[in-house]
Amino acid sequence: MPGSRLSPDRERELVVATERGDRTACRELVDSFLPRIGGLARRFEGGGLVQRTELMQEGVAGLLFAAKRYDPRMKTPFWGYASFWVRKAMQELVAEVTRPAALSDHAVRSLARVRAARRDLLQAFGTDPTNADLAAATGFTREQIDSLLAIDRTPRSLEERLSAEDGTPATFGETVADPGSEDDYEHVLDELEVRAFAARLDERERTVLWRHYGLGQPPQTLGKIGAGLGLTAERVRQIEMEALEKLREAAAEPPGAGDSGA
Amino acid sequence: MKAMNSGTALRHTAFVYESEHEYVARSVAFLRDGLEAGEGCILGHTRHWIATIRDALGPDAGRVTFLDLGSTYTRPARAVASYYGTFLGQLRKAPSVRALAEFQFGPTYEDWDEWVGYEAITNLAYAHLPVWVVCTYNANGVPERVLNGVSKTHPELHTDGWQPTDHFEDPRELVRKLTPEPEPLPELRSISTGDDLEVFREQLARELAAEKVPEGKALDLLVAGTEIAANAVRHGAGIAEVRVGNAEGRFVCEVIDRGSGFDDPVAGYLAPREGTGTGLWVARQLTWRLEAFRSPRGFGVRVWL
Repeated sequence: MPGSRLSPDRERELVVATERGDRTACRELVDSFLPRIGGLARRFEGGGLVQRTELMQEGVAGLLFAAKRYDPRMKTPFWGYASFWVRKAMQELVAEVTRPAALSDHAVRSLARVRAARRDLLQAFGTDPTNADLAAATGFTREQIDSLLAIDRTPRSLEERLSAEDGTPATFGETVADPGSEDDYEHVLDELEVRAFAARLDERERTVLWRHYGLGQPPQTLGKIGAGLGLTAERVRQIEMEALEKLREAAAEPPGAGDSGA
Repeated sequence: MKAMNSGTALRHTAFVYESEHEYVARSVAFLRDGLEAGEGCILGHTRHWIATIRDALGPDAGRVTFLDLGSTYTRPARAVASYYGTFLGQLRKAPSVRALAEFQFGPTYEDWDEWVGYEAITNLAYAHLPVWVVCTYNANGVPERVLNGVSKTHPELHTDGWQPTDHFEDPRELVRKLTPEPEPLPELRSISTGDDLEVFREQLARELAAEKVPEGKALDLLVAGTEIAANAVRHGAGIAEVRVGNAEGRFVCEVIDRGSGFDDPVAGYLAPREGTGTGLWVARQLTWRLEAFRSPRGFGVRVWL
């Protein structure tokens, strides 16, 4: 099953460029796979719990995550790899939307009691107990049992495997969705992580590095750069070394080390 | 799961849960114990589960740091850096830290092996930090191959209480086993640089421009390449050859030196500190993959952008 209208080489180029933070490549990659993402989104039908727009956004986020992680050395084609993450992202969304509003410690303990009672009654009588049986066994009211079982049911059932169709495993979670637009994924692209160590540099350091190494322009000698800045070649060399050291320090610093987390 | 974070060094453990209820109950208890003891507490999972644990913790959730793992596990080196930074941040305000993190696995054998290797690296990457890491695995969703790796990569597992595992493997040896051997890349071309790092960067920059590598990424490789070339000059008796080019859609640079090289499969995964170099860490952080190999010309380090 082809992943997109792209040739394998072009697909690989776009995946690599997307991982590098190239927004143009990223858009082309996403556009190419939107029909596939839409196809997966349609499988989450039923219940109208999640907007299709949201599913598409999550699907695109899953595709971009896959692009950051995909290793072409794998024998698996990109879509074979990425569809796993697209589906996972959509499942997460459905689980999030359908998640009970609160699962307090008390609810967790109560659920444990209900489950234990169900297990005991099932073992004792060989049939699934009714809610009334569970209420009698646990001391909870029928309303409490109904509520606890509703909490229990939703997230668990989302990961329940239903069938295998076209070689792709289906879960109940994939069958819960709502059709809609495929267009509104722009904000996902806006959230692309692009590391910008160069932001640590001041204007002069940046000018020296960019000119010397021909980043986006023809390279220049240190002497020529110095002439343009009114500095000696040796001073330009010192500025370059300071700039490289700043970049090295920035790269060496683990992200978040300076704060206490979110 | 009640037990204190006893010491001054890493405690790397795992629990495999059978149900979501079990996950929530144990995780909440673990975090509550940490909060009571004045420890920094971290939970890493996907958004849905973060929200569930937040609800279960109630007001205490405000004292826990939550990490959305939906975007953290892109490359092992970056995941190590991300956790390392978070731990250091927490340790600025607490004497010790406990963290729960759900294992994130992909759909392929290669992916599983790479991230099982990451679990092995964890034993070394934070070994000196007073951190108790509990890796959580959903028994109903995690592939058998990954589950088999749990006891190889965690010294302790939670079964009936915390129990040492009999199958724990030396992390370096396990990473070595799980890491594919670098393949020769005959498509790369030699460039002449000598041992002068400025000339090395100038030549490398020309090649990057010829391959139309974007400026920001070109700068990343100039910095990463400088680190590798500097190591070759400083520790490897000089640069024997530099080869560059495009392979598998990525720009590749390899530096072959005249020295005996090193034999450490986790080189560059351990954050810089006393006794640990900075160069390969920087190179791993700035590139997509780093490989070390031996060739007839000498010892080589190769980075993929």
